[in-house]
Amino acid sequence: MSGRTYVDNAPVPSDVPHVDEVGVTSAPLKSAAFFIGKFCQAYNDDFMQCKADARDPAACLKEGRRVTRCATELINKLRENCQQEWDKHWDCLEQRNQEFYRCRKAESALNACVLEKLGIKKEIPNSKIQVHTIAKPVFKDDTPKWDRP
Amino acid sequence: MPVPWEALIPFGLLTVMFGAAGTLYGGAQRLQNQGKLPRYGIDRWDEMMMERDRRLTGHFRGQSTEPKAPQEFATNSVWRQSSLDTR
Repeated sequence: MSGRTYVDNAPVPSDVPHVDEVGVTSAPLKSAAFFIGKFCQAYNDDFMQCKADARDPAACLKEGRRVTRCATELINKLRENCQQEWDKHWDCLEQRNQEFYRCRKAESALNACVLEKLGIKKEIPNSKIQVHTIAKPVFKDDTPKWDRP
Repeated sequence: MPVPWEALIPFGLLTVMFGAAGTLYGGAQRLQNQGKLPRYGIDRWDEMMMERDRRLTGHFRGQSTEPKAPQEFATNSVWRQSSLDTR
């Protein structure tokens, strides 16, 4: 990509309450995604509803802070309880183009740990097929086209 | 009757040269990606996430599980200017 780059060093205005940004990068975040989705569903839905109502970024800062705080809480819980399984899973994802279907073994270990210690079960929302539970998936998705959600 | 082993030299050369080229290329790719295979099939979402990873860790393949982002993260996002298309 060519063209000049521009960095804005101005700090956030002081009337906005400060919330630490999540420092988790793409692979661990993708690994924890379904758990974050379940744990923080209420706040995430609020934020998405706010965004749907108003495209202005300033309008949804409060909901955004709640999303950040909730995600940070779950990240801390994961680090406390399931750090090793999580590390193994996202390391596997990083080695394999961040594709879930190539890391089922590490994923089932992580899912078991999170279910036991944090009580969160991984479920694919809005899907009849829970592909991560199928032991030997012949096709990635073999529902007929007219039946897919 | 002596075996014409000289005829096999070109095959050997080809094998060695293809092998060396492939190995060097693979090695170069791994060096650029911190020892991992390069990402492929990347869409705009993945590009955005890799740019975020670069801002968080300094390298676009760097990973971390820190719950709190480093200080620089708040102000190091980059806007890129593109030239005006005056057609």
